[in-house]
Amino acid sequence: MDCLANTAATRQYLRRFAIAMAAYIVLTMAVSFCFRHFYPTGPLTYLLAILPALAIIAQIVVVGLYLAGETDEFQRNLFIQSVLWGLGGLLSLTSIWGMLESFTPIPHFQPIWTFPVFWCFVGLSSPFLIRRYR
Amino acid sequence: MKNSLRDLRAEKGWSQAELADRLGVSRQSVNAIETGKYDPSLPLAFRLARIFALPIEHIFSDAPEGSRK
Repeated sequence: MDCLANTAATRQYLRRFAIAMAAYIVLTMAVSFCFRHFYPTGPLTYLLAILPALAIIAQIVVVGLYLAGETDEFQRNLFIQSVLWGLGGLLSLTSIWGMLESFTPIPHFQPIWTFPVFWCFVGLSSPFLIRRYR
Repeated sequence: MKNSLRDLRAEKGWSQAELADRLGVSRQSVNAIETGKYDPSLPLAFRLARIFALPIEHIFSDAPEGSRK
């Protein structure tokens, strides 16, 4: 995220986030491969299906660890603001989309997109926050 | 909240980065406090007061704009 300064907590956060992201990509590819070639059945299907989601949960934990470990209160405040903008944007978009789905023939919003959309809004908020505190 | 951080820093001949190092925060944090866009917490305000060897109320003032403390 652009508004993160180069603090020790930030570097650790980016390292952890990259690991969790890599885990997500590897798990998604591995699970897709399993479903395409081994046709799992029974409880294993559910277990395999949720594996990539665990990497997403790990990313949320990484955000929490950053907030707990960041000693620069201004940077922590900035990060919290960008996360709030992300949540606000996501909730607004999904509310609008939900209403549109109820009354118009637009495509269904897959819940799998909530996490990427959240980070898009976080990213979009960064330039505004940077300008505000410049 | 108004503050005289920029003047105090200039008196010491420190850059924002130097003051940030002494405080253990980022340069952006010092800039945000100096420009009045961010009010520091009480612990950070105490750290600033200790660095400049001044009481907190000599650095920060909640007096209305235009009036001197």
